[in-house]
Amino acid sequence: MELLLNRYRNLTVLLVAILAQLVLLAYQVKSNGEVRLIRVWAVTAVTPLARVIEGGRSSAAHFFSDYFVLLDVREENKRLKKDLDRISMENQYLRTELDTADRAQSLAIFQSHSPSKMVAAHVIGNGTGTGARVVIIDRGSTSGVQKGMAVITPAGIVGKVVDVYPVSSFVLLITDPTFGAGVISQKNRVHGTLKGQGHSTVQVEYVQNEEKVDQGEFFYTSGDDRIFPKGLPVGEATVVRQGRGEKEIYLTPSGFQNGLEEVLIITEGVHVAIPEVPSTNQQVHLQDPPPPEPGAPQAVTPAQNGPVSDADRIVDRYRKIGEAEKHVYGERAVIPNFNVNPDEMKKKDDEKKSDPVKKQ
Amino acid sequence: MTPIESERQQPETSRLFKDDTRFALGRIAVFQYLSVGVFLLLITGFWVLQVRDHEANSELAERNRIKTVPLHAPRGKILDRDGRVIVDNHQAFEVRLTRENLKPEHIEPIAAGLHLDPDDLRARLKRFKSRPNYIPITIKQELTPGELSFVESHRDAQTFPELDLVQTQARLYPRNGLAAHVIGYVGEVSEQELNSSDFAKYSQGDIVGKFGLERQYNDILTGVDGQRRVVVDSVGRERQVLENLDPTPGNNLQLTLDLDLQAVAELAMDGKRGAVVALDPRTGEVLAMVSRPAFDPNAFATRIRASDWKELTTDPYTPLMNRAIQAQFAPGSTFKPLVTMAALETGTIDPSFSVHCGGGATFYGHFFRCDEKHGGLNLHGAIVHSCDTYFYTVGNKVGIDKLAEYAEMVGYGKKTGIDLPGEAEGLMPSSKWKLRTQREKWYAGETISVAIGQGAVLQTPIQLASIIGGLAIGGSWYKPHLVKSAARPDPVRRAEFRSDDLTTVISGMYGVVNEGGTGGSAAVPGLDICGKTGTAQRVSLTLAKSGKVGAELAKENGWFVGFAPRDNPEIVVAALWENVGHGYAAAPIVRDVIKAYFDKKIRMTESKPPSLALMKTSPLAVAH
Repeated sequence: MELLLNRYRNLTVLLVAILAQLVLLAYQVKSNGEVRLIRVWAVTAVTPLARVIEGGRSSAAHFFSDYFVLLDVREENKRLKKDLDRISMENQYLRTELDTADRAQSLAIFQSHSPSKMVAAHVIGNGTGTGARVVIIDRGSTSGVQKGMAVITPAGIVGKVVDVYPVSSFVLLITDPTFGAGVISQKNRVHGTLKGQGHSTVQVEYVQNEEKVDQGEFFYTSGDDRIFPKGLPVGEATVVRQGRGEKEIYLTPSGFQNGLEEVLIITEGVHVAIPEVPSTNQQVHLQDPPPPEPGAPQAVTPAQNGPVSDADRIVDRYRKIGEAEKHVYGERAVIPNFNVNPDEMKKKDDEKKSDPVKKQ
Repeated sequence: MTPIESERQQPETSRLFKDDTRFALGRIAVFQYLSVGVFLLLITGFWVLQVRDHEANSELAERNRIKTVPLHAPRGKILDRDGRVIVDNHQAFEVRLTRENLKPEHIEPIAAGLHLDPDDLRARLKRFKSRPNYIPITIKQELTPGELSFVESHRDAQTFPELDLVQTQARLYPRNGLAAHVIGYVGEVSEQELNSSDFAKYSQGDIVGKFGLERQYNDILTGVDGQRRVVVDSVGRERQVLENLDPTPGNNLQLTLDLDLQAVAELAMDGKRGAVVALDPRTGEVLAMVSRPAFDPNAFATRIRASDWKELTTDPYTPLMNRAIQAQFAPGSTFKPLVTMAALETGTIDPSFSVHCGGGATFYGHFFRCDEKHGGLNLHGAIVHSCDTYFYTVGNKVGIDKLAEYAEMVGYGKKTGIDLPGEAEGLMPSSKWKLRTQREKWYAGETISVAIGQGAVLQTPIQLASIIGGLAIGGSWYKPHLVKSAARPDPVRRAEFRSDDLTTVISGMYGVVNEGGTGGSAAVPGLDICGKTGTAQRVSLTLAKSGKVGAELAKENGWFVGFAPRDNPEIVVAALWENVGHGYAAAPIVRDVIKAYFDKKIRMTESKPPSLALMKTSPLAVAH
């Protein structure tokens, strides 16, 4: 057997490689149907080689440049530049360390203040392809991450988990055109659906032109989508205009404003109330998140004033006439005059009440 | 072999062996190079497919589905007589489920996200089991913004079955059940309906009129659906339109209802149980029709939950019943104008015929009581004060068969023919009727109760309005109808009554309202309102006293019917207030509706040019 393997060693290796490839492909098709693993492997495999080649090319180019042209001046300049680069690098490194420490601290504070259970994760890669709005995070099923879980930063929502592996997960960002989430405006409590646009802004759809939404108004998650708990910041309305049939509202997502390096995955969401005042400074919001409104509904949408027909308006008019004339319909009391203008009567009554001289 | 021989042969063997190995190695090398080449080709192919052209391939893969999207035709609007909208449509979304990837564990989350009862959803899926799984079925109409968000955020085909949003035109009914029984509601066509000829052209899942005018005029109101054939990507986004067939909207339906009168009648019946019907007796146009308690047709427009439907159908106060055309109760004293007409026309009595009321009278050995001791009364006084003793006497004289003959002449015991489904007939007993239905002879003593609108006689509110309206305009009856027609209708019945007799009856009814009679609370200065109260037992006195029925049900129904003006009446209104105890309680309901009619007439006259204003001067304007 050993002899046979030794004799056909190359062939065996080749067959094993092809078999492994086929098994892995089959596993991938069965488990996921997507082909991202091979792309990740391919990119990972090619990257060191590319780095070595690039290093060699760069060294050779530097050597020839240094040797032949302005040997002394270059030497001096090189030393100075090297010092500058080193100092800049050190500076950058320290700044990054400081930022990381800040972010980690913010994340920890946010995590401890939020009623939802969360798992912190680092973003370790981006999905390849020009249209992909997917990032890879370093937490997977072993950390309790499940498909469909919400991913946020302290500044706002970021996306949802779409694929889970043992130690990593793929997160579909809210900017992806296939992404949808339920949102509610802070001031006017208008419900809508957030849709990604494939670029940095997102759109809020299904808002009627009759609804009131102000430019600059902040949107929060509504909890309707059963992915994000209610009350998480989404973004600020930067464009609000009347559209064909429904309003056109575009938001700048707040979740990406501090970059996307660390994220939180909500493993057990708890709905919270929408804050009454817009949070102008997200850092402050991070340091001290507002407490939930006492007695406010947790997840239910507010009552909607739907469309009305002429019939409803006419009934309202007669109801007002009855109130203005102190007439109870169908009762003996007074004979009504249905030709009065109830609004004018009310106005006169109000004037009488506010002007004691006239009243007398 | 000797060592010498062995030495001689060794180089020969070694040479041969070496040649063989070289030959084999050469062949393996070729094979290896070929294999590596193939492998490299494969790797390159994978690289091209999976990495380099990934996006392009994804796009291509996503673009391979053609979908047919239905374009629902909006139903016609329902308008009042002035063109104001009673029933409108509004844009809405419905969600359709494709069951190809549906698994049992999906039901609960879908039901939760769409606020559906999981059992209702399961029952619905079962109903559509015969339909192929690739054909989507509508599982919820009129989605709320929250439900839209749920659908939009669960378009992941790998974890959820396909949910499609379809834009549609949903029915918008008035709130608080305004005119609910008249308008009716729409709903999904049932299996039973699909088997009937009326709905043969529909298919499972179609929306049709189920009740009221929506049902009666379903064919007029229903449009023709269109459809779009589109190419969609994996998340349902339209990429290309292949075919677009626009829908044809249904026709609008203009009713005879007047929203001003309807609104007042609705408000007047708020919190009560009963019905109101207002007619123009000159044409049969229904100006207002209310039935309470009511229901919210909007609940049906969004597919009513099974639990809500059960609640409605088991409610002891039967909110789904259109009392205006289906409630059959004893007419009480509202029957007296007919008894008067029969007595006068047959010459049994004349208007001077007098009776002494001492609180009742004995007939055939049985004492029949009256509400009061009215003393001596002639016909006019008897109508004004609704004296039972007087009408016991007159009814006894006329006899049941003559009463029945005149009752049938004016419309008792037969449907008015209103254009609404499910109208009840009412009942006018006679000796023939008793023989036919109970195989017994009629006893004269039974006529005494019938003479005051008790006993077996039954009427509906629409019948009362139609009968009194016809008498008020001189003995012509027009078919009550709810849909406006350009042509002037012909009367369905005429009775050759003597005008003096009609005048006597109308004069009596005027006295009821304006001469201290039982209907004084219907009086409006300046308006010659005529009317008649009616207090009718729902259960026999014995049963009421036995305590077997609740105290509320033991109370009498209150009726009032009124018309105005006295000469050339333009409006007649009948009101039924169940278990209120007395007919006078219903009089203000009728008054408010009549007042609304004439107040509106003034408004309309004032807003028209002077030449037209002169042509239509209301009695109230004359009085001023």
